[in-house]
Amino acid sequence: MWLRALFRRAEVERDLDDEVRFHLERETEKYVRQGMMPAEAELRARRAFGGVERIKDDTRDTRGIGWLEALAQDMRHTIRGSRKRPGFVLAVVLTLGLGLGANTAIFTIVDRLLFRPPAFLNDPGRVHRVYLVERHDGSDVTDGHMAYTRYRDLARWSSAFSTIAAFQDRELAVGRGEETRVMDVGVVSASYFDLFDAHAVAGRFFSSREDSVGAGAPVAVLSWTFWQTRYGGRPAIGDVLEIGELRCTIIGVAPPGFTGVDSDRPVAVFIPVNAFGVHAGFFQHPTDYYLKYNWQWIELLARRRPRVSLSAADADLTHAFRMSVEAERAVRAGTPTVDVSQPRAVVAPIQSGRGPKASNVSRVALWTSGVALIVLLVACANVANLFLLRSLERRREYALRVALGVSRARLLAHVVTEIAMLAAPAAMLAVGMAVAGDRILRVLFLPGALSTTITGDPRTLLFAGIVAVVAVCLTAVAPSLEAGRVNLSGLIKDGARESARGGSRVRIALLFLQGALSVVLLVGAGLFVRSLYNVRTMRLGYDVEPVLYANLAWRGVTLSDTQRVALSHRLSDEARTIPGVSSVALALTVPFYNSWSEELYTVHRDSVAKPDRFTLQAASPEYFHTVGTRITRGRSLTEADRAGSQPIMLVSEAMANTLWPGQDAIGQCVRVGADTAPCRTVVGITEGIKQSSISDDPGTQYYMPIGQYNPDQAALFVRMTGDASASAETVRRRLQRLMPGASYVTVTPMRDIIDPEVRSWQLGATMFVAFGVLALVLAAVGLYSVIAYGVTQRTRELGVRVALGAQVPDVLWLVLRDTIRFTILGLLLGSAIALAAGRWVEPLLFGERATDPLVFGAVTGILALTAAAASLLPARRAARVDPNIALRAD
Amino acid sequence: MNLPQGTLDLLILKALSLGPLHGWAISERIHDVSRATLEIPQGSLYPALHRLERRKWIAATWGASDNNRRAKYYELTRAGRKQLGEEVDAWAKLTAAVGLVLDMT
Repeated sequence: MWLRALFRRAEVERDLDDEVRFHLERETEKYVRQGMMPAEAELRARRAFGGVERIKDDTRDTRGIGWLEALAQDMRHTIRGSRKRPGFVLAVVLTLGLGLGANTAIFTIVDRLLFRPPAFLNDPGRVHRVYLVERHDGSDVTDGHMAYTRYRDLARWSSAFSTIAAFQDRELAVGRGEETRVMDVGVVSASYFDLFDAHAVAGRFFSSREDSVGAGAPVAVLSWTFWQTRYGGRPAIGDVLEIGELRCTIIGVAPPGFTGVDSDRPVAVFIPVNAFGVHAGFFQHPTDYYLKYNWQWIELLARRRPRVSLSAADADLTHAFRMSVEAERAVRAGTPTVDVSQPRAVVAPIQSGRGPKASNVSRVALWTSGVALIVLLVACANVANLFLLRSLERRREYALRVALGVSRARLLAHVVTEIAMLAAPAAMLAVGMAVAGDRILRVLFLPGALSTTITGDPRTLLFAGIVAVVAVCLTAVAPSLEAGRVNLSGLIKDGARESARGGSRVRIALLFLQGALSVVLLVGAGLFVRSLYNVRTMRLGYDVEPVLYANLAWRGVTLSDTQRVALSHRLSDEARTIPGVSSVALALTVPFYNSWSEELYTVHRDSVAKPDRFTLQAASPEYFHTVGTRITRGRSLTEADRAGSQPIMLVSEAMANTLWPGQDAIGQCVRVGADTAPCRTVVGITEGIKQSSISDDPGTQYYMPIGQYNPDQAALFVRMTGDASASAETVRRRLQRLMPGASYVTVTPMRDIIDPEVRSWQLGATMFVAFGVLALVLAAVGLYSVIAYGVTQRTRELGVRVALGAQVPDVLWLVLRDTIRFTILGLLLGSAIALAAGRWVEPLLFGERATDPLVFGAVTGILALTAAAASLLPARRAARVDPNIALRAD
Repeated sequence: MNLPQGTLDLLILKALSLGPLHGWAISERIHDVSRATLEIPQGSLYPALHRLERRKWIAATWGASDNNRRAKYYELTRAGRKQLGEEVDAWAKLTAAVGLVLDMT
């Protein structure tokens, strides 16, 4: 019966019709026999029976198939209706598709930054990143990095964890000669692999024996990707691979997707942490890395034991940390007591974006997903409006159906079905958009990340599905209310024509909502664009675009200091012969990558309290010209400033003001490193540079001739006349030819060094502008459709008004009233929201207040112009209404 | 007179216990037998018939009516006869009990 009902619907329907008709006929006959006139008898019979359609409906319901059949009926109805109005369907699918697509695309990024645990990780809810908090100068400083010694202490003295692993992503040169490339190397403890449920696809992972403290073995496990690209998948076990200073034997290959715990930096090769500590570490003595505490380079992962709560884990680890600090005090004089530093440890989720040291990029990503939601809301409001307009045209149809006994619930189901059916292709469009947008977004947010296929990713598809369902529900609210309010009495009589005014309040409200949300997004876009502009136009103290930085790594070669100096000069000379190179300089440090400092002594203060505040640079005479740092007073470095000549230095303006407030810095004497060092005379003043932070850098630097300070440690700066980034590889190849043995050169454009520092503003600007424009376009389309519809509906009314003497301005006022209200209310509401939200965005901005009147002014202008453009066509049509035609339409 | 809740099924089953009938005839028979006291709410009749059919208490066949038109005839199934027995018993008990209460002095 059930199946028959489903599959032989037509037959079942006909049977039901027949049965009801038969009943009515017999009833009629009965009344006729009683002496009624046939027509009267039929009416009586019908009245006795009740609403035919409702009873048929009830009867259908008892068959248990009612809803399914109703659904099929609604779907057929929708498809029939859609064929008749392709424009409407296209508008709905595109609008919803854009809204859903924006969300799906941004979800793939947010998911990778904040939610998705690393592949293969076992029970990710119990695996944590560990952060240490200590008090410095009255404020808590949180850091995820610590000494290897600390890791051993914490592992030894804590009991809440079943596994504690050390790991660290390091950029190291991998390979030899021409093949050498700087890659992300996972420096990990053997226990690291215990956290994962992964098995080597070839060979094995390293054992704890190969990672024993003080005696790590030079072995390497390749990532699948690296194995495929470098070895083409050929057997590689047993081969030797040069990694940084190590010559490693390959012992295994990790499965595809096993690339460490940071999604934005996939690891190419894994090596034991102890092998790196012993052979390639920072210390002179190979035991220092596990006995001392001052090289903070390790990060920690810890798996909480079952039935240990988060707070218990924190407490346990804090206890271990305090014991470790006591141990540190025994070997390192000057370590503050635990009462002063108040050490504590916290466990945080494995995704660093959710930890206490979340990057600005993950914060902006989160904001962006909020923005995407707003776009979706605008899209839903828009589609709701389109459906409202359509349901107005169909009010008579609805009213008739209600009159015929179709229940209101059935009518609502019909509306929801219609929206859902159009949402399905929109969701598909959204996934398509996400696939297309993923590449762009990945470059913006996660430049290093490997691609994943979105279409094959269940999380993304599930998300798209859920958002689509939510969107359908949101969209259906207004049209359902409208359908539920169908008023029987008036409508059938009136006809559809003049009934448009009733639902207009909902439509106008939705329109205001769209306007307001667009304003919020546009303000956001304006603030981020201004921030980015501020960052980009800010003087860093050096040029970015034309400059390349070439680092020399003396791997595997033993050269004397003089030999290194001679080689670095030969490299400079070689670089000068490369076409497009305008100047070359030698220097010790590069902003954001490294900084050096020494204790300073001046006449008036025997020691300058915080030596870290002044960063030093040693450079050749061409340096200032090559990187573009300006000398504001005094002289530059010259060829005459060499080893053995009079010791001199240049200081930045900020440093001069700090050391000698109110005095002339030039001619002052500074002793560098010790108060017995020879007096260095200040000969020039330079502008300050951004050394380690874009947003707050004290800009206190000083410069010495490289001949007088560590000339053997020099790196090269190369200034190009053309596009520096494009020349990087050419320069690298030319310089690499001169490098002996396994030593190598890496060439990095300054642009690549600065970009990560400004990425969050770049992102904010890009995403807010893209989504803001999207929202505005959607709102404009919404406004246009509502006004155009209004004009069509009111043609007759306008005709009457014109016939009665209304002038063009009067007509325009009628039409544009909504536009003006849309603009003003949208602006007021949107600005209020934007001002309220500004407090939270401000920390993400740069040199920009969240209340910037320029931005608000520009947004006002843009919204007004857009609203005017959207209502131009309908207004023109309204102004041309010819009363003769309008009134004759009936 | 309105039917008490739940008695419609009982009346339909009883009406059919004497032989197959079509829907209109069921309502007529109940009307007549009850001496025009019981009025079957026609809006509930067909949903009820389809419900009973789905529970397999009655079965339907299409046949020719007395004036030779296509009509849907319902008849009791074996399960329907058993159900009728049970419902009649239950009804008897109920009316007896209600009678006792009403006779209370």
